[in-house]
This record gives sequence, C-alpha cells and structure tokens, in this order.
Amino acid sequence: MIMTEPASRKVSKPPDELPAGLEAAPTPVEEVELVKRARKGDLTAYDDLVRRYQERIYATIYHMTSNHEDANDLAQEAFIKGFQALRSFKGGSSFYTWVYRIAVNKTINFLKQRKNKAQMSLDDMDFNAEHDPDLVALISDKTPRREVNLAELQEKLNAAMQKLSEPHRLVVTLHDVQGLSHEEIAKIMGCNIGTVRSRLFYARQQLQAYLSDYLQ
Amino acid sequence: MSMNQDTENFGQLRRLLKIKRYEQPPPGYFNDFSSRVIARIRLGERGEDSAVIERLLWEAPWLQRIWAAFEAKPVLAGAFGLAMCGFLISGVIYSEKGDVQPVALIPAAESLPSSTEVANVIAENHPLVARPAALEVSSTNAINPFQMDGPLLRTLHAEPAGFQFPIRN
Repeated sequence: MIMTEPASRKVSKPPDELPAGLEAAPTPVEEVELVKRARKGDLTAYDDLVRRYQERIYATIYHMTSNHEDANDLAQEAFIKGFQALRSFKGGSSFYTWVYRIAVNKTINFLKQRKNKAQMSLDDMDFNAEHDPDLVALISDKTPRREVNLAELQEKLNAAMQKLSEPHRLVVTLHDVQGLSHEEIAKIMGCNIGTVRSRLFYARQQLQAYLSDYLQ
Repeated sequence: MSMNQDTENFGQLRRLLKIKRYEQPPPGYFNDFSSRVIARIRLGERGEDSAVIERLLWEAPWLQRIWAAFEAKPVLAGAFGLAMCGFLISGVIYSEKGDVQPVALIPAAESLPSSTEVANVIAENHPLVARPAALEVSSTNAINPFQMDGPLLRTLHAEPAGFQFPIRN
C-alpha cells in the first residue's frame, strides 16, 4: 500500500504517474453527512473521516519531518484537534483541505520548535520500489554514482529535503510527492497560486543543487 | 530561462522524489490508527481549558501567529514577559504617587455645623422651640445611630406591664 495521493484531484498539471491502489474518493455528500454527524459528537462518523485521510495526513507530516515517531504524534494530534475544532468548521472548504491545514500548521509550529534538533527516523521502503523503472534507472549503471543503493538515495533525499525551509519543503511534498494541484496547495497554505509556483520552482532548484551527485 | 522550461528540466529530480512515495510506516500501522485517535478523544486527553485556548487560537489567526512566534523564539516571549512586568510595576508606582490624600476631604466635612449645633442655635434664638429629645443623645454615630443610654433606653427598661386576668370561681 502506498500512502500518498489526494482523493479528489483537480490536477492542472498532473505529476508523474502516481502509484496505484489508492482509496476511492469520498463523495462530497457522504463527507458532508459524516462531518455533520461528527459535529454532533458522533465518534463513529469521525472514525470514518479519520480512516479516509489518515494515510495522506501521516504521509505529509512524515515527509515534512523525516521522522516516523514525530509524524505519528503530530498526525494523531491533528485529528484530535480537528475533532475539537469541528464546531468552527464552516464548510467553506472540504473537510479534507481543512484537516490538512490543521496538520500543516501543527507540523510547521513543531518544526520551528525542533529547529537544529532534527533527527531522521525514516520509514522503510516499500518492496515495490525496487521494481519502479524510474528508480531502477537512477541506481543503474547510467547513474553518475553507480555504487549508490536505494537506501542511501533515500537518506540523501531526506537530508536534502530537511535543508529546505518549511514552506518550500511543504510545496515539494504536497506537489511532487503527494500529487496535489497548485490550487489545492494554495488553499491549504493560505496563499495564492503564484506563490505556490514560485516556491516550487525555488525548492526544486535547491534540491537539484543538493542532489547533483545523484542526478544525471 | 522560463519556469516551464525548468519544469521540464526537473524531470530527473521528480523521478528521484518518487522514492518518497515508497516510504512506509511499519506494517499494520494504520490498522488501529483511527482507534487510537478516537480513544484519545474519548479520554479527553486534552483538558477543557486547553481546548478553549486551542479553539481561540484557531479562530484568531493573528493570535496563532503571535503564539507561534513565542514558541519559535523564547527570547521574544521573555522580552514580552519583562515588558509586561515593567508595565505592571510602573503602574503600581504611578498609582501610589497619584493617590489623593483622604485627609484633605475631612476638614471640609468637619467644618459643617452638626445637626445638634444647628438645633441649639435655633432653640436659643427661638425660646418657644424646644430642644428635641433625640438630639440630646450626643454620642451617636453611623454604626450605632441610637445611643442606648438616654430616655429611649429608660423607656425600654421600664417595668413590664402586668396583665392579670380575673379568676372566676
């Protein structure tokens, strides 16, 4: 199972083909009904909502922190806060965008506090990664550093990600890893699309510089 | 170089970023994730007070930004605390200096003739006007308006009237 990819994608520029086997998007009516019930204190309905978004929320936080334990704590806290603040949810955006914003705010606050104390605790790679043609190509003979293996590449990539500022890391995570559209990212981050684009451009430039040894 | 051209040039990097999609938490991690969240909600892990603060922070983004700034820079929080202490201390000092002397008001009140003096003056000028008995009681005050040693007390201490019903044979 792969834990990325938003359910309802209105991708203006679809990212590279995303992994298969993802959950079906919840219909808005279903979600609205679940939110309504959860607001009245129905924990079964909220449990349903958590199940729908847990993987995406966890993944976003994990890619931001590069630490499983931190991602676990923050993801749980984001959902708890989501339940507590549900009364203030006006329904102007989807629940999914709203809970994403909670998670992102929580993570950015956490990262500001954690500054200079970052310690990576990376998740294991899925077995399928070894069969991904793009990744195979990266570690093949054509790669400048031919001795590199997938685990090392993973570590280098995470280290490079951690060098980015939080907003830049977030944009790369949401767009290039999670596959969200610029519009969705703008909603989550509370900024305009132009800002998202420029941040993405700058972040990619930075990453390319950090990882030049591993890119052709 | 335009942004679109660069998007094309980032192809290699984007392929490398695909690695991130394959990073996974321990097997079965998500099986009981929601149960743990719900259990924590049920336990009310976070007290009502903190929930109110969190809600306030959530509903007032400017407050959230200030809070985040304090969390990120403890020096700023310390400086704010010091400024508040300074403000409080200066307030106390200022209020002590600016206190109005209550003594200043008393002479003005004392300079007014008392009701007894007024009654005496009236009685002297008009012999037909008798001095009021109640005014003879001189040592009354706001707490004890009736001095219980005058004619009023004597009346109260008078022998109780005896009621004897005739006995019928």
